[in-house]
Order: sequence, then structure tokens, then C-alpha cells
Amino acid sequence: MSATTAEVVHHDPSHNHPKQGFIRKYLWTYDHKMIGLQYLWTALFFLFLGGGLALLVRYQLAWPNTPVPFIGWMLPATVASDGAIIPGGYNMLVTMHATVMVFFVIMPLLIGAFGNFLIPLQIGAGDMAFPLLNELSYWLYVISGFVLLAAFFVPGGAPGTGWTAYAPLSAEAAYNGTRIGQSLWGVAIFINGLSSIAGATNYITTIVNMRCPGMSMFRMPLTVWSLFITAILLVIAVPVLSAAAAMLFADLNFGTSFFKPAGGGQPLLWQHLFWFFGHPEVYIMILPAMGLSSEIISTFSRKPIFGYKAMVWAMVAIGFLGFVVWGHHMFVSGMNLTLSAAFSISTMFIAVPSAIKTFNWMGTVWRGSIEFTTAMCFALSFVSMFVIGGLSGIFMASTPVDLFVHHTYFIVAHIHYVLFGGSLFAVFGGIYFWFPKMFGRMLDETLGKIHFFVTFIFFNLAFFPMHNLGLGGMMRRISDPPIYEHLRQLQPLNQLSTIGAMGLGFATFIFIWNIVKSLSKAPDAPANPWHSNTLEWTVPSPPGHGNFPKTPRVYHGAYEYSVPGMEKDYLPQTEEAPAHVRLDSH
Amino acid sequence: MNGTSIFTKILFCALGVMLLPCVLTTGFAQNVVANLYWAPENVTVSGKQIDGLLNFIFWLTFVAFVATQSVYIYYLVKYRRRPGVKAHYSHGNNSLEIIWTSIPTVIFLALAIVSNRVWFDIHSDPPVDALKVNISSYQYGWDMRYAGADGQLGRIDVDQIGLNNKFGLGQTDGTAADDFTAMELVIPANRPVHIYLNSRDVIHSFYVPQFRLYQDAVPGRTITWVWFEVMRPGNFELACSQLCGVGHYNMKAPIRVLPPEEFDKWYAEKSQAALEAKDGPPGVSPTVAELTEAPIGPDSQANPLIP
Repeated sequence: MSATTAEVVHHDPSHNHPKQGFIRKYLWTYDHKMIGLQYLWTALFFLFLGGGLALLVRYQLAWPNTPVPFIGWMLPATVASDGAIIPGGYNMLVTMHATVMVFFVIMPLLIGAFGNFLIPLQIGAGDMAFPLLNELSYWLYVISGFVLLAAFFVPGGAPGTGWTAYAPLSAEAAYNGTRIGQSLWGVAIFINGLSSIAGATNYITTIVNMRCPGMSMFRMPLTVWSLFITAILLVIAVPVLSAAAAMLFADLNFGTSFFKPAGGGQPLLWQHLFWFFGHPEVYIMILPAMGLSSEIISTFSRKPIFGYKAMVWAMVAIGFLGFVVWGHHMFVSGMNLTLSAAFSISTMFIAVPSAIKTFNWMGTVWRGSIEFTTAMCFALSFVSMFVIGGLSGIFMASTPVDLFVHHTYFIVAHIHYVLFGGSLFAVFGGIYFWFPKMFGRMLDETLGKIHFFVTFIFFNLAFFPMHNLGLGGMMRRISDPPIYEHLRQLQPLNQLSTIGAMGLGFATFIFIWNIVKSLSKAPDAPANPWHSNTLEWTVPSPPGHGNFPKTPRVYHGAYEYSVPGMEKDYLPQTEEAPAHVRLDSH
Repeated sequence: MNGTSIFTKILFCALGVMLLPCVLTTGFAQNVVANLYWAPENVTVSGKQIDGLLNFIFWLTFVAFVATQSVYIYYLVKYRRRPGVKAHYSHGNNSLEIIWTSIPTVIFLALAIVSNRVWFDIHSDPPVDALKVNISSYQYGWDMRYAGADGQLGRIDVDQIGLNNKFGLGQTDGTAADDFTAMELVIPANRPVHIYLNSRDVIHSFYVPQFRLYQDAVPGRTITWVWFEVMRPGNFELACSQLCGVGHYNMKAPIRVLPPEEFDKWYAEKSQAALEAKDGPPGVSPTVAELTEAPIGPDSQANPLIP
């Protein structure tokens, strides 16, 4: 089927297409590029929403129990009373912020938006293997988003058990008081999982079957490699979460006892299932970011990726090891102590491939000719922020230290350095880099730089102090820190962090302004504005229907920059090297 | 390009600004809590080992961070784009790959081994003279139970734990008869304390930052491996650090660490009171059933969700 589909869409894009209606063009399309953009806009909407939830959380932590300015009156009664956030409402905000950011922002941006847009373009295919499945997976994602947000408006309100939804709190309505909200959460996670599995199946099939002639696996851009490995992780990990969500739903609504000890169930079973998904999930959210950043760093250093194969094997190693470290979330959960020690060792090992990748990025900029575009600034700081997030992880990997810092703000700092400073910085870099290809227009570089600096500074202001808050003994998910004696003196840090978060909120508007400004001008993007090598830059911006006028042929790897003996400092994958030039890659 | 170099400068200013909060925080922290991390003073014996490991990892990661980032930033400055300068053509170096794979592997493996030695040390069998306390957590509070005059905690039967039997005491077990309860955790300094941790509803956690100690309490089980020795008297707060519902944010209990003599006095008085109540005139004698049925914690009032 895949081969036929590929042939069907490989027609001449210059051939006159009947004008498509709005619905066929923007809402129900089989074109992978438009589906990628659907994901992009939807996920950016959720990013705005999730960021708003985060600001409410931060406001409450800095100035507890005071009315939220401007928007306090709009909050539902389950969240706030007289404009001030109430403890149960705080739990709901925390839960919804994390759920939205993980399942509706980071995953759809990296995998849905960039995955859909880039995979066929970078491997020289006309579309995905299963275009209908592709569009279905997008709409499943939208439906799951509606189901999740509906939880705010049902009796009892949104779930307040954290995005990890530990049982039996989440499994027993008498304990959480939000049977409907929590059930909707389970349904949303289940539908979202279907979307992920459908998308991942499509990616794997496309990458295995539809690469153009000459595009061997080891000539694929690292972006495609990262998405390939991510898709495999998704197919293995997500069904486990879906099953767990279904069991949780049954516990809540049908009186089963999978996770409730009173009926013979096991609370720790939920944690094992959740984290068996949850840890690969962490890598699902960082591997594509590594791929995007590698692409950007190589292009703007005008240098081949240092250690391309080491980069690929490091990602493969992360993929394998990612499945044997889930227990490090459970060192102090009541799990067997020897098992904790074993998970601690595998966790230390998974730090190695991350270190390898960092060293190779440093090797890539070494003796480069570095141009600091906005995309490059985001990609370069991705590396630094990822290093901070990685190093802080070592504290938790050490079992005794975890006794101290587990479930404190230290872990909150860690996860945000990885997911915001890591994944989201790479997403921003990716948007600045591929925006011309997506929309045929360049983003404004000056506004981009301002967006970058404001984001970078306020990001660190918001999240660095959380390390100290955690070591100072601040628990996660408490709505009113100053009621604890030992946390009173830390309140200035909470306020500092909130100011940083507000700055991040402000930065978003610069970004939105930049996008609006660009989209309202005439198309100005050349086919290859960055002089990059991968296949998407060989076709016009934006590429026509079917992507390539005729199936491209690839002659070498994706990173042939600054080849000695050549006039120009890049060599697109579709161009053969001149006879007198010897390439080091194959 | 001229614009590029200006932005290069701004980039490095930004890196400087990024480090500023770290410097300021640490500087301020020196005045507030006399340590690098703003961490509250450690008061337990095992906490000293944890702090030692924490310090070691801090300096290890600090050196790794400074070393990699200074090389990285140096490269970014040195190899910024200049007219006429072409990048070096290199696809990598296998010897380097082997070096920077093996060095971290050795370091991380060593760290895992050292960590796990401390881990098993902290979780070695509790000393026999340890004070035994049973802590039963619920939405949203803590009940403590002490062994009483006989020094024997009544056996915990987790299947019996419920609203009418908060500690899950076996009705025929004589050792429970003289047990007494408290709503604060009172323990002696310089003597090991062995905790039996239960939960009556959802997962809670026993967290005291000054003790460097965290442990989840799982319903349906008794966690028996937590023990610690506090090195000085003082007042602390026991906090729940596992999201457990609407009242989670305020689920705390006072901890009083007393000098050993004072603790012995408190313990003797409490035991005596428990014994007297037991041997007193008929009708006021609290049988095991009464002891366990007494509404010790305010859960039914505090949590309207419990039927």
C-alpha cells in the first residue's frame, strides 16, 4: 500500500490543481505538510493555555491566597473563590498544566508538527505512507484535547491528582472528589494515546519504506533518525499507559480494584505501569529536540556533525536504556530497596549517551564558522540548558540523595530544564529555522533575537531558584508554602521565580507578534535561505503538493559543509560532489 | 556580518546575566542558612552521609558544568563567523568518541556503587534498642502510636486498618493493651528511632527535610525499614510530600526531639497514664477496641469526602 501511495502523490506539482475549499485545505487534508501545520497551530494554542495555567500556579506560590489580578474573576468556582486560588483548585491547575504541556504541547510540537512536516521532505518522499491515518491521528489529538479541557466544566471540576495521577487517590472518588474530571482525564489520555500510536506507526512505515533512491539509513538527517527512534519508543510505551488509563477508568467507575488495596489491588502497580511509559516518555520528548538542534547547529557552524554515527548510536542506546530505568521514579515509593539500587545503576548508565551527544555538539562548533541566527541561539542554548538538566538528574539518580530531594522543587527545576530549556528551546529554534519552508516567509531576526534573550534570561530566572527551593525543603504540589516554618525564609525565592515566569509569559507575545508580522507580509523566503543540505531545501518554500517535482536522488550524507576544494561551503544531498573532491562520509 | 558580532556580544552578556541569580542566591544564602544550597541544617546521623554525597555530586557536576561550558563558550567566541575564514572539514574522531564514552561511564559507575553502599548502610537493620513508633497517615493528618510500658508495639494487621481501627491492631494481641497514642511525634535525641509507616487511605509520605528523609506510606502495607537517629533536641515539622488530595498542602504534624532524660520522663508519664486508665475502675478502662476506635485524628471532619 505504501508504495502505491507514494506513486500516487508523486505527480507533477506544477500540474494545475483544482482550487481546494477551506475545509479540504485546512481542516481535512491528506497533505503531511498541512497536517504538520495543523499540529503546530493547535499545539501553540495549548502552549499558550498551559503557560497561562503555569502563571496561575506561580502567582499562588509567590503571593498565596491573594486574588489573582485581571483574570481571577474568570476562574471557575472549583479553582478560585473571590478571585483567590483555593487549595483544591491549585491541585487542578498543577495537574492540568503538566498534562497539557506533556501530552498536548511538547509531544504534538516535536512529533506531530516537526515529525509530519519534516519526515517525508527529508527522506525525499511525496507524503506519509498512510495519509488518512495521519489526518485521523491529528483529529484524535484535537478530540482528546477537548475531552481534557471539558474537565474544568464538569461537576467537581478538573482532576487534582497530578499528571502522574497516583492511585489510589486517583482511583477512588471518595478520596479525590473529582470522579468525572478524573475519568475525563483517563479518557483524554487514552484517545491521545491512540493518536500517538497511529502517528508513530505511520512514521516508522514511512521511514522504512519510502526513502528516495540513495537515502540509506546512515545518510538520513539526524532529525529523521531521532523521530524514527522516538516513534519506536512511542509504539512500545504508549499502549502501556493506555492500558493503565483504562484500568484507572474502571476503578473509578465500575468498582474494579486494580489499584485499590481494599479490594486486593496494588497502588504500586499504577506507578510501575505509569513510569514504564513515563520514562521512555521523557526521551520521547527530548530525542526529537536533539535531532532538530543537531540540524541547526551543523548548518550554522558550516560544519559536518561531529561523530554522526556516534550521535545515532547514542540515540539508539538512549532508546534501549530508556526502558530499564523507570524505577528511578520510585526509589522511595515503598518499592524493594535492592530493586532501587539496580535501577540506580541503569540510570547512571543512561547518562553516558547524553554526555556523548553533548561532547559531539561541542565538537561540531569546534573550528566552525558560527553564525548566530535566532535559530542557532536557541539550538546552542538548548545544549547548555540540557547539560544543566542532565547534571541535576545525577543528584536524583544517587539513591541516598534522592531520600532528601525526592518530590521537592529540585525535581521541578530538573524537569523544566529538560523540557523547557531542552525540548521547548529546540522547538523555538526549529520554528525559526523551518518557518521559511513552512510558510514561505522569513521571521524577523531582530524580533527573534529579542524573543530569544528575553526567553533565555527569564527562563533561568524562573527555574534556577527552584533548585535552591528544593534543597531548602520545599515540597512539590503544595499551594501555600509559607505555612511551613522552614519555607518562610525561602519565600523571596518563590517570588523571584514567579517574576521569571511572568517574563516568560511576556516573551510569548514577542513571539506571537513576530509570527503575525511575518505572515502578514508577502512571501519572501528563497528555497534555501540558510544554505542547508537536506532535501527540503531543494524545493520551493513552501513546497508544492507532492513535495518533489520528480523523485530526488541522494548522493551522500546530510552534513557535507565546508568541503575542501569547493567554492560554496555546502553540498546539498541531491548534488554529486565534483570529481576532484573527496568526501569523508559515504 | 556586523550585526552578527553585536549579537554575539549580547549573547555572552546574556550568559553572564544567567549566572547572576545563581551568584546572588548563593551569596544571600550564606547569610541566611550558612550553606551553599539554602538547605535546612541536617540533624540526623544518616543525613551526614547524604550531605557528604550531595556535596560530592555538587562539586562533580559543578566542575563538569564549568569545564564543558567554558570550552563551549570559548569555541563559540573563537569560531564565530569571520569574513574569509572557512570552517574546518571534519566528520569526527573515533579515539575522542572512545575517550568521552569511557570516562563518563567509569565516573557514573563509581558514583552508582558509592551511592548504593550509602543506601544500604542507611537501610541496614534497625538497632534493637531503637524506639519503635507506629505512624498512621490519613487525609489529612498523622497519628502516632508508642509501645507503652512493655516496650512492645501491638502487631499491625493492615487488613484491619480502617476508620474504626486506625492502627490495624489485632484484637487478641495483648501487647497492644498498653500502647498509647499522640498527635505529635515526640522522640529522643541520640537514640535510634524505628518508624512503622502506614496509610489509611491514599499514598502519603513521611518527609522531614532536616532529617534528609523521605518515604512513601502505601495503603495496604506497613513500611518497616525506616529508622534514623537525631543528633540534637529541637522542634521540627513532619510534612506530607506526596500529593494526597485537597488538604495535602497543610498535612503536617509537630515533631519534638527531646533530650533523652526528658523523653524518658514524657514516655513514662504517658505509659503510666495508659496503664492507669487500663487498670482503673470498670467502665473507664480503655480496652484495645476503645483505644483503636477512639477518633484520634479528625479525618471524618477534615475530609467531607469520606462517607
